[in-house]
Amino acid sequence: MIATHALAAAGGNSPSIPAPHIEYGQLSPMLVVFGAALVGILAEAFLPRRLRAATQLGISLAGLVGGFVAVVVLAAQGHASTRAGLLAMGSVAIDGPALFLQGVILLTAVLAVLTYAEGRLEPRINGHRIDAFAAQAAAVPGGEQEREATREGLRTTEIYPLTLFAVGGMLLFPASNDLLTMFVALEVLSLPLYLMCAIARRRRLLSQEAAVKYFLLGAFASAFFLFGTALLYGYAGSLRLGEIADVVSGVAPVTPALAVTTQNDALLLIGLAMVSVGLLFKVGAVPFHSWTPDVYQGAPTPVTGFMAAATKTAAFGALLRLFYVAFPGIRWDWRPVMWGVAILTMVVGSILAVTQQDVKRLLAYSSIAHAGFILTGLIATDRRGVAAVLFYLLAYSFVTLGAFAVVTLVRDSKGEATHLSSWAGLGRRSPLLAAVFALFLLAFAGIPLTSGFTGKFAVFQAAAGGGAAPLVIVGVLSSAIAAFFYIRVIVLMFFSDPQPSGPAVAVPSALTATTIAFGVLVTLGLGLLPQYFLDLATKASIFIR
Amino acid sequence: MNAYAPILVLGAIAAAFAVGSVVMASLTGPKRYNRAKLEAYECGIEPTPQPVGGGRFPIKYYLTAMLFIVFDIEIVFLYPWAVSFDALGIFGLVEMLLFIATVFVAYAYVWRRGGLEWD
Amino acid sequence: MHLAYPAVLAVLLFSVGVYGVLARRNVILVLMSVELMLNAVNLNLVAFDVWLRDTLHAGQALTLFTITVAAAEIGLGLAIVLLVYRTRRTAAVDRVTALGDRHEADDPADAAEEKEQAAA
Repeated sequence: MIATHALAAAGGNSPSIPAPHIEYGQLSPMLVVFGAALVGILAEAFLPRRLRAATQLGISLAGLVGGFVAVVVLAAQGHASTRAGLLAMGSVAIDGPALFLQGVILLTAVLAVLTYAEGRLEPRINGHRIDAFAAQAAAVPGGEQEREATREGLRTTEIYPLTLFAVGGMLLFPASNDLLTMFVALEVLSLPLYLMCAIARRRRLLSQEAAVKYFLLGAFASAFFLFGTALLYGYAGSLRLGEIADVVSGVAPVTPALAVTTQNDALLLIGLAMVSVGLLFKVGAVPFHSWTPDVYQGAPTPVTGFMAAATKTAAFGALLRLFYVAFPGIRWDWRPVMWGVAILTMVVGSILAVTQQDVKRLLAYSSIAHAGFILTGLIATDRRGVAAVLFYLLAYSFVTLGAFAVVTLVRDSKGEATHLSSWAGLGRRSPLLAAVFALFLLAFAGIPLTSGFTGKFAVFQAAAGGGAAPLVIVGVLSSAIAAFFYIRVIVLMFFSDPQPSGPAVAVPSALTATTIAFGVLVTLGLGLLPQYFLDLATKASIFIR
Repeated sequence: MNAYAPILVLGAIAAAFAVGSVVMASLTGPKRYNRAKLEAYECGIEPTPQPVGGGRFPIKYYLTAMLFIVFDIEIVFLYPWAVSFDALGIFGLVEMLLFIATVFVAYAYVWRRGGLEWD
Repeated sequence: MHLAYPAVLAVLLFSVGVYGVLARRNVILVLMSVELMLNAVNLNLVAFDVWLRDTLHAGQALTLFTITVAAAEIGLGLAIVLLVYRTRRTAAVDRVTALGDRHEADDPADAAEEKEQAAA
């Protein structure tokens, strides 16, 4: 922390600020991932081109798996329950929800990185295997420079360190215990994502457009988050979530300066509203959702899968911590607003999804609707609500990742065939792939025996228990609308005739196959035998203050 | 008022020196103008906008300027440490070295990728 | 000086920024408006920091982070905007509309794609 007053003290050697204490061991999941990202940058700088792709994949997997091992070790040592605490002078929390979500984010990131490395889908160029990312991101689409880069078989291997930086931010986001850390985590996770959207190999104009839209709206939203942070700081005199909670509930000692600011409720309410806008934007809740379909459609599909799964998990973690740690004292003020947002999100997401003609846009609107379902769990404001949200995020992440991995496989001569009409009759052409996609869609719809059902049941049960029964009714109704369009796609795949010039299903390497298989496994596992993971989520559902 | 007298004197001397040097230079110095000297200083680029189509400056300029700004501003984190390095002791020194090391990782990437080459 | 003066000034600056983001068509001007919003935040943070006599100076610390993050954000944003500008020769936000909800047969997304392929 800064101590300008140290200068004013006699001799300038006032020991008024003790050196902060940093628990490196307990911060290790994030440190490992950030360390791997730095090594990735160095590899990018010093390794010859032909070695880069394989090395980067190795570094990323090592970093992400290492981070996951660290999370498991910390959880086994009891940091999720009995030994939960605050780290780095109270700016980072290590507790059940933080470790649970960090585990989910790291696992999804491992699977997403596997889909990045997939080199079997695109035809080889001059014997070079190529992937879904631009040969040279800075080259003008269709220009001479791009043609040359493509001929030489270049690849944008920077995608791996960028992903690691984004993952590092995502790990910090749900664990951040003050608004400063939360802001830094928000930016560290967002900035690499903006870039990653822009580097698709095919349809580069759309990809760049997606990046511009995501960037402009994202910067706008984070400015709102910051202004809200400033107002909350002005109200409470601290950025710590716990100290804000004390001031809000009137426990904290009142200094003369605080007496002036705390009598101004506008600071508190407007500040909370603006911080929430920033977080709800990342979550993709209505009315801050308008970027979601465009960005999901334009970004390279492996990145879309990663973004849809991991960003949502991290942002909901931060949202939960904000509302449950800092503002339980004014829940009667924020709950009605969140009711409105949840209802709008569920209804708008489900209804707009019905009209979509593009698979990626359809999945985007479905992710908006799911944000609404998760919000109903948040509104429960009790432990069961937290547990339900944690479980839902676990279930949703793997289904989403698997669904987008399937989308990368359905291709025609122009790349991925994302228009729904070209998916007609896919079940006859490739029964296995269509069956897998149908399973993911059923999980999105919340059909029993899939993870989606267990998750939805958990959040609705928590919401009903928290006195939000009308919300549950809206939720069930919009689930029914949503089920309509999921079933429509399944009917299209299995009961209509394939187009003669329709897309072919590419045979993936073991990399994408692993991701899809893992998605299927988790979807069925959490649907058939959810009890272990429900218990885990319940055990992990207490926030430390 | 007495306490401020030295400041006023210092201000007066500074003003006299500034005005004096400009006036002296314009009175005594040789005057050899050329096109570059007559233009307003705008850190290296053409100061006045050219007609549309010819008014673009090279992309190299953007890259260099951006790199400069980013590296320049990241160094602001040294400021709080510089203010209280004595209170933070060896801990602050180690943390700052780590910070500088990460900045140098980015620098190494820029250097190896040719971001610093002008031509 | 009462806290209200800097706070109100910050709100006004922020509002000007919001207006700029919503009303401006040129991406560069939109970016500048976002910067204006962030500067309003900085003003607010420092004013609150001084008013509250925060011994840890959390407000000033956050200001430093805001400044650095804003610089990184602008560097990245300009890179993306430049990429789009070099392809499309336009920096107007309302001309970048290939993505969006549409149902007509002549989908601009397809059109943009075909143009790209024609160029290649």
